[in-house]
Amino acid sequence: MTDFNEMKEALVACDTVKLTGLVDTALGQGTPASDILNQGLIAGMDIVGEKMENGDMFIPEVLMAAQAMGECMTVLKPLLGEGETTGAGNVLIGTVKGDLHDIGKNLVAMMMESAGLTVHNLGVDIDPAEFVTQIKEKGANIVCLSALLTTTMPAMKQTVDAIVEAGLRDQVKIMVGGAPVTQAFADEIGADGFAADAGSASKLAKQLAA
Amino acid sequence: MREIITSRGDGEQITLTPDELRKDIVAGTEEAAKKGKIDALSAEEIDHMVDIFSQPGRTVSVEPGKEVVVTDDGAGLMPSWGRPSAGHAIPISDHQALLMYERVYCGDTVGLGFPDYSYKPVKSAIGYARSHYKAISMLTTIPLIYGSQPNMGMYYHPSGPVESPSDYLSKFEFDKAKEVQEQAAAHMKRDIMDVAESLYEVGCEAMNLDTTGSAGDADFWGCLNVVEEMKEKMPDMPVEMGMAGEMVMGLHGELTYKGERLAGMFPHKQIQAAEKAGVDIFGIAVNSDTGKSTPYNLSRTVTFTKAASEAASIPIHANSGMGVCGMPMTLLPPIGCSTRCAKALVEIGKADGL
Repeated sequence: MTDFNEMKEALVACDTVKLTGLVDTALGQGTPASDILNQGLIAGMDIVGEKMENGDMFIPEVLMAAQAMGECMTVLKPLLGEGETTGAGNVLIGTVKGDLHDIGKNLVAMMMESAGLTVHNLGVDIDPAEFVTQIKEKGANIVCLSALLTTTMPAMKQTVDAIVEAGLRDQVKIMVGGAPVTQAFADEIGADGFAADAGSASKLAKQLAA
Repeated sequence: MREIITSRGDGEQITLTPDELRKDIVAGTEEAAKKGKIDALSAEEIDHMVDIFSQPGRTVSVEPGKEVVVTDDGAGLMPSWGRPSAGHAIPISDHQALLMYERVYCGDTVGLGFPDYSYKPVKSAIGYARSHYKAISMLTTIPLIYGSQPNMGMYYHPSGPVESPSDYLSKFEFDKAKEVQEQAAAHMKRDIMDVAESLYEVGCEAMNLDTTGSAGDADFWGCLNVVEEMKEKMPDMPVEMGMAGEMVMGLHGELTYKGERLAGMFPHKQIQAAEKAGVDIFGIAVNSDTGKSTPYNLSRTVTFTKAASEAASIPIHANSGMGVCGMPMTLLPPIGCSTRCAKALVEIGKADGL
């Protein structure tokens, strides 16, 4: 019988070697790949997110945990059936026009992927029109906008406006984040949610997608 | 119903009803207790804070006999270094400003520094810093503390010789990211030590490592280690250490000091590490939330300060000003807030060296 707690502990400890070993053993014992993903890895990443929110884990450790999870996913993906790799969330994420910062945004993307969401990372300096095009192309139901600078925060509003003008507002939930961004700003520009860190962003995305 | 006039963390003047005031104070202490895993303020202490904010005068103060020693952290230089746009700069020299602070404002200690306030640039201007310090110390009677910021971030590209750890983190090269942080800490330690030794030769009465940990746990780690070295070579020169924020950011993540992990440390743990390193005065820094009221921010600060004062035996210098330790984020501190912060920090937080 697979010990998912041991798997979660290995993931929280960022112990890639142990984690991949546990995944291999579980597969050898006939444990379904979807159980390993949901009860072991995604559950473990939820703990990582909580620890990050509480200041018990920091960026390097979260990145290491995400990397460990990624190693396991290369083994699990071919074994998962259609629809088993992802949850309901189909996320489009990008740093808004004029802003070139991407570390935080990439961390959010990794946490969301690790939480089982499908993530399309558009990169940095993304024009509002490009967000609109990609929503249509990827069929996204969640759009995440990132900005690190107060000077680029207005581009978040422009992007929200562009999505409204394109008639896609009812199709997507919009989340905003970044150092200068607040819940009040999110409310002001008509976004659906704000998260202060990668862990809570991932949790919020899952809530919005549900 | 009487409304209480106070400020929000962004400096905006606000009014609170007595119920709102109490709710904010309770919320502030509970948030600090949860975050720092420490005790919240007692019902009696919350009542005391409510009382401090409910007093109708513009200013409040501690009772006679309960005054504490005032540790300087740049206040003495405000007249000469002040910001003209804020209306509080006077065209006078550092000499005049510091003597005014000592003889007119009756400060207990006073501080001097180089306008480019980091140890790295001070090192290249050490001749000026030495003569400046020496000349002023000949005139002052109260202890003259030389202050500067460790600012380990200045040792990363493009400002410094070491590659930035964020470049490695984004490529998942974790060991390399840790290695460059340790290299930057070594550069920072060397510069702080060079400046300290050089000023010690001209009779420096105390050093201040101001805004420690600004580049994360490696920055704090380097500072603790350099203090240890300073106290070994210059045991009679006191060292003040002030923090950059309420929690040590874990950008390295694995560094420890005397067996304790530095990442994630809150003031009550920071002060213990500092005391072990030989720090004589520890300056806690609790961040103000610009969207919350001063009673909320001060309640958080007092909760952290009280825990820190119980955890160690060295004096606490509470960095109360400009977005830190209860104060709103403004250039000119509202006096109603600054005096209430001082009173609560001393009477409830037991800060003994503001």
